[in-house]
Amino acid sequence: MSQVLKEIAEEQTQMDMTPMIDVTFQLIIFFLFNIRFKVLEGKLAAYLPKDVGVNAAPAGPIEKVEIAIFVEEPGQKVYAEEPGKGAPWRGEPDRRFDFVGRKVYYQIGPKKMREMKDVGRMLKDLHDKTPDRPSTIDCRAGTVYADMIPVVDLAIDAGFTEITFVGEYKKAKKK
Amino acid sequence: MNLSKHDAGGAVTMDMTPMIDMVFQLIIFFMLITDLSQRELEELQLPQARSALEDKPDPKVARPIVNVPQNGRIIVSRDVKYDPEKDGDDTLRLEGYLADMARRMPTKKDEATGLVLPDNPLMIRADANTEFRMIQRIMELCGKKGIQIWKVELAAAMETPEQIAARENKLKE
Repeated sequence: MSQVLKEIAEEQTQMDMTPMIDVTFQLIIFFLFNIRFKVLEGKLAAYLPKDVGVNAAPAGPIEKVEIAIFVEEPGQKVYAEEPGKGAPWRGEPDRRFDFVGRKVYYQIGPKKMREMKDVGRMLKDLHDKTPDRPSTIDCRAGTVYADMIPVVDLAIDAGFTEITFVGEYKKAKKK
Repeated sequence: MNLSKHDAGGAVTMDMTPMIDMVFQLIIFFMLITDLSQRELEELQLPQARSALEDKPDPKVARPIVNVPQNGRIIVSRDVKYDPEKDGDDTLRLEGYLADMARRMPTKKDEATGLVLPDNPLMIRADANTEFRMIQRIMELCGKKGIQIWKVELAAAMETPEQIAARENKLKE
């Protein structure tokens, strides 16, 4: 009896590694599917009118710098990725498109501009003359996010701290 | 002829240690580089902005993130809150979400209007080719009574150090 017990005690115990390996492989698969590399992403601060939808107390009129963005030429939508990169986009909502031949222009007061550097220069001049003036961005029908962001960027760069948006969804609807 | 002293009939055991080491190292690598907080961020092509500030969200602060891909769908944490194809003018789900977020935000009295307004921003992440009217739709809902979120953050891609250097070189020329 004592001999049997001695043999059992001396016997090397082998741990079953299979469950641990299974779990670790499942963890790897989980991370592989969830992997999203950190991207260099930033933000631009802007404000919406505070008194929309409520009866706000009347305030004194403040002359705002209004920057309007118009689409001059909507351009053609083409596939942005393979297969068929560059071919006319056929309206598949889940496939990326790019614009070809798109033209926009900007208007501050009566002045129309096509170049971003002119917009930047004018915004800087306006801000230097009256630093307290807020600015509003008016994106007209057909404009896209990439048309608006450079204008917000230039307004912040010029020194404007209060940037608001104007316009109504219904007015901007496709014709 | 005695070719081998080894017992050919015995079980061959594979040394698992290097494989387990490697697997654990892989797990540690993935754990370090995976940012699970980015689950709220859809894969979009953001326009670039020079003045964009690095986004360092405070995990304790409730900040809603609204994604708008170029197809115009409004997505929050992988849940489509508004689909222009299906929902048309019905924005109830999105409105409900924004109202809920506004309620959770800390409030502050605005001196100019005398209104008590939510004080946290709403982040709008839209694809470069997303029509502005979709963003306008979100902005309009933000202004509704009971929501009144007035601070917005517009997501943009930041310039890489190489792009900054190239721009500065161009200015010098």
